[in-house]
Amino acid sequence: MIDLYTLGAIAGLTAATFIARSTLLLVGASLRLPAPVEAALRFAPACALAAIIVPDLLFAGGGTGLSWSNHRLLAGAAGAALYVAFRSVIGTIGGGMVVFWALEALA
Amino acid sequence: MVKSGLATAEALLLTFSAYAGSAQLAALPLMAAQAPLWLITLTAIVVNLRFVVYSVVTRPYFARENAWRRLWLGYMVGDVMFVKFVTRTQRHPDDPQAIAYYLGGACCNWLTWQIASVIGILAAGSIPAEWSVELAGTLALIALVVPLCAQRPALAGVAVAATIASLAHALPLKLGMLLGILSGIGAALAVDLRQRGVKA
Repeated sequence: MIDLYTLGAIAGLTAATFIARSTLLLVGASLRLPAPVEAALRFAPACALAAIIVPDLLFAGGGTGLSWSNHRLLAGAAGAALYVAFRSVIGTIGGGMVVFWALEALA
Repeated sequence: MVKSGLATAEALLLTFSAYAGSAQLAALPLMAAQAPLWLITLTAIVVNLRFVVYSVVTRPYFARENAWRRLWLGYMVGDVMFVKFVTRTQRHPDDPQAIAYYLGGACCNWLTWQIASVIGILAAGSIPAEWSVELAGTLALIALVVPLCAQRPALAGVAVAATIASLAHALPLKLGMLLGILSGIGAALAVDLRQRGVKA
């Protein structure tokens, strides 16, 4: 079932996972960044999430970019508003999906 | 993966060992074209570059662990656990259980990700695409990012990261996302320095 080439590719992809995620943890102990940069890294999680979320809402799954006809974007905005109002993760996910499905049904 | 011609056993093995959704997706067309293995590996590393940024951030927190444990702590990282761990560790910098918190969350994340992948591999095609269930994942990330926007440097970082990543979304290998993250951190740094300068 499993051929040698595919096995090699799986090994390569697994190696890539370790190389990207762990190399700096292993050899980076001596890596010293300027103090302001080190301090600014506390904002990296928020930046990473923004860089993942917004392009996904705009363009993934047939998204039509920055427009009122982009139901994914509207559902995302509704989800963010719901989170601000109720601080509920489940409410954000459920409410956002309901908004999305409703917009799709009405369109 | 199954749709692109991988046998079920191969897809399962790939998912369990590589644990890297977007790298797997990027590798599939290369595998179908029988591209050289070094090219597949290199492609996966480039797609995974945001995790290099994550490891720069988590590096000080993991510094006291031995090399073997650091290797696995790195492997277990995911977007959500990275955010939860860094946010929590900043609130409780001297928590002796920080690593346990990280490992507990990361193991749960690994397990649910694998369960969902197995369902996806075995039930490939039976979930209607027009339901857009993947949007639920993005909505969960929205609930994660909103509370992080309370400070002005974070808000600037988020705005710049979102804008740059969106403008550059057509770049291959998720390089637009990486560009967004790096410029976001740069913007947060600039605003942070300004604020401190005003206060000092």
